[in-house]
Amino acid sequence: MALVTSEVSRTRSTAASLRLSVLMFLADPQWLIPSMIAPVVFGLVAFELFRGAGPYFLTYAILGAGMMSMWGQTLYGSGWATGQDREFGTLEPTLQAPTPYLYVVLGRVVWNVVSGLIGGGIVYLVVVLAAGGPPALPDPLAFAILFVFVMLTLAAVGVVFAAFYVYTRYAGFIQNIGEFAFYVGTGCMFPVVLLPFWTNPLALFFPPTWALDALRYNSIPGYVGFSWGFGWDLVGAVATTAVYLAIAGTVFHRVERHVLEVGNLSDF
Amino acid sequence: MLRNDGPAIETHGVTRRFESRKGFLFRDVTRTDALQGVDLTVERGSIFGLLGPNGAGKTTLTKILATLLLPTGGVAKVLGHDVTQDAAWLRPRMGLVLGGERGLYNRVSGRENLRYFADLYGIPTAEREERIRSVLERVDLLAAADRRVEEYSRGMKQKLHLARGILHRPEILFLDEPTIGLDPKSARETRKLIRSLVADGVTIFLTTHYMFEAEELCPQLAVLSKGRIVARDSVDRLRQLVGGDRTLEAEAYGFDDVEVAALRRLPGVSKVAEEEFGPATRLTIRLRTDEIGIEEVQRALPGHDELSVRERRTSLEDVYLDLVEEEAR
Ligand SMILES: Nc1ncnc2c1ncn2[C@@H]1O[C@H](COP(=O)(O)OP(=O)(O)OP(=O)(O)O)[C@@H](O)[C@H]1O
Ligand SMILES: [Mg+2]
Repeated sequence: MALVTSEVSRTRSTAASLRLSVLMFLADPQWLIPSMIAPVVFGLVAFELFRGAGPYFLTYAILGAGMMSMWGQTLYGSGWATGQDREFGTLEPTLQAPTPYLYVVLGRVVWNVVSGLIGGGIVYLVVVLAAGGPPALPDPLAFAILFVFVMLTLAAVGVVFAAFYVYTRYAGFIQNIGEFAFYVGTGCMFPVVLLPFWTNPLALFFPPTWALDALRYNSIPGYVGFSWGFGWDLVGAVATTAVYLAIAGTVFHRVERHVLEVGNLSDF
Repeated sequence: MLRNDGPAIETHGVTRRFESRKGFLFRDVTRTDALQGVDLTVERGSIFGLLGPNGAGKTTLTKILATLLLPTGGVAKVLGHDVTQDAAWLRPRMGLVLGGERGLYNRVSGRENLRYFADLYGIPTAEREERIRSVLERVDLLAAADRRVEEYSRGMKQKLHLARGILHRPEILFLDEPTIGLDPKSARETRKLIRSLVADGVTIFLTTHYMFEAEELCPQLAVLSKGRIVARDSVDRLRQLVGGDRTLEAEAYGFDDVEVAALRRLPGVSKVAEEEFGPATRLTIRLRTDEIGIEEVQRALPGHDELSVRERRTSLEDVYLDLVEEEAR
């Protein structure tokens, strides 16, 4: 009698999770703050902070504020949504369903990337409005592509963080350490001259560090970042992202097993 | 072809230990042996009831069978497949209803909750909406389907849990206290729904604290106490196990030990239990045979003007309390 689909479609599960993320976003006005209002504030603050700091201060402002808001949306969001599954008690029925949890996380990541891009777009508009004109970008198309690329590297880290949230209810602790590494390591908010991030090798384990450096090389003439330059930045970003995705692919399977062993699925 | 082969559930020596850590850097470990060797066989196509006091391990066993928790020892098979090895095969074929206030996405509607899980279960897209509608109708939640779950009453949430549990038409359904929090009418409808599922060929494994519910629904029962199965049989056979079908109740303002001892010596009496009821005392007398009745008990308790004695059928609740008390002793 039971109609059993031999293999549950993974794309469909990812799409379902994306759809639910959007519905939950629309249902909860608190989201307006990180996704819509924070980028405006970050944009204005960065504009004031970098004003007069050389000819490319607008680009610095956009990158700094853009990274600040994307961090929250793209990286933090994926782990946080899994923490919510714990809190709601929906982690148990979701794991009980035949779809691997990784595909649920991927759907959320897609949404987080989209909402991170919206945040980045808002930052861009705010800074442009405040300055009364667009920044001088050598290659606007490459800038846009690299911007999305940075976001994808953030998303890859987000998937790994989500695994922590399945693993333990104390994942917020681990994530906060990651957050610190991101702010300091990538130097996202500071001009690179103020913060020589290459002194912090930890940041190199973090794909966005590479991608962001590449983006700066591309959009700020005369920028001095990693000595190996733009090309190797891209290679490093792709390689570290691949490592994170590989970790996510294997870790999720093990984490799902681990929580059944420990029996902490309903803890929150 | 496999469907009617072998039992729906078969466990051998299933144990489960929990370790919870607290203290500085989690150094204090508390161990709880929630299940201490459970052997159980449940046939296909009927309702099996699991009774037991709080903390007996009912939810733990249910989660193990539903692949949400691994046993620490022993073997558990559902539909002939090992719950530890074959979870991927089992999950689409089983439903689990843990119930309660949690476990749902409160900010979206009941229908959206079901859409999400329908997709995770791979219910064919063409059938999805109709399937959701019919399930909502079956649990009587159609009118509230498009309201946010946070606006639902406890009972409505319970119904939504049930709807999610049966949406993908599982072969076996695990229900942990399915009627908890439901008003009498909804509880009755839920029991009706459970029976109709059995008529469709679904095997149901349910836990409950309500004896009449178990008596009404479950041809076969087990009583779990402190992680062990202390009895497993039909309601009628369990009645025999605790000493008979007939129960007399005598109520008055206090009995003395001599009187109680005298009652215990009457022919056919298997057990006398004493219970305080405010100022009054009730003696529950379990009878193995038909040798004595109300009159004999009245005669054994002279000098109580206010004495009232009545006879009733031994209820499952009596059986249950006897079993659990015996275990506690
Ligand atoms: N995740 C856990 N960590 C530690 N101990 C646990 C955990 N889950 C259950 N226990 C313990 O295992 C024992 C059995 O719990 P379980 O929830 O299975 O009982 P139950 O029969 O369902 O009780 P109730 O009737 O109250 O629902 C209890 O002592 C409980 O404290
Ligand atoms: Mg329980």
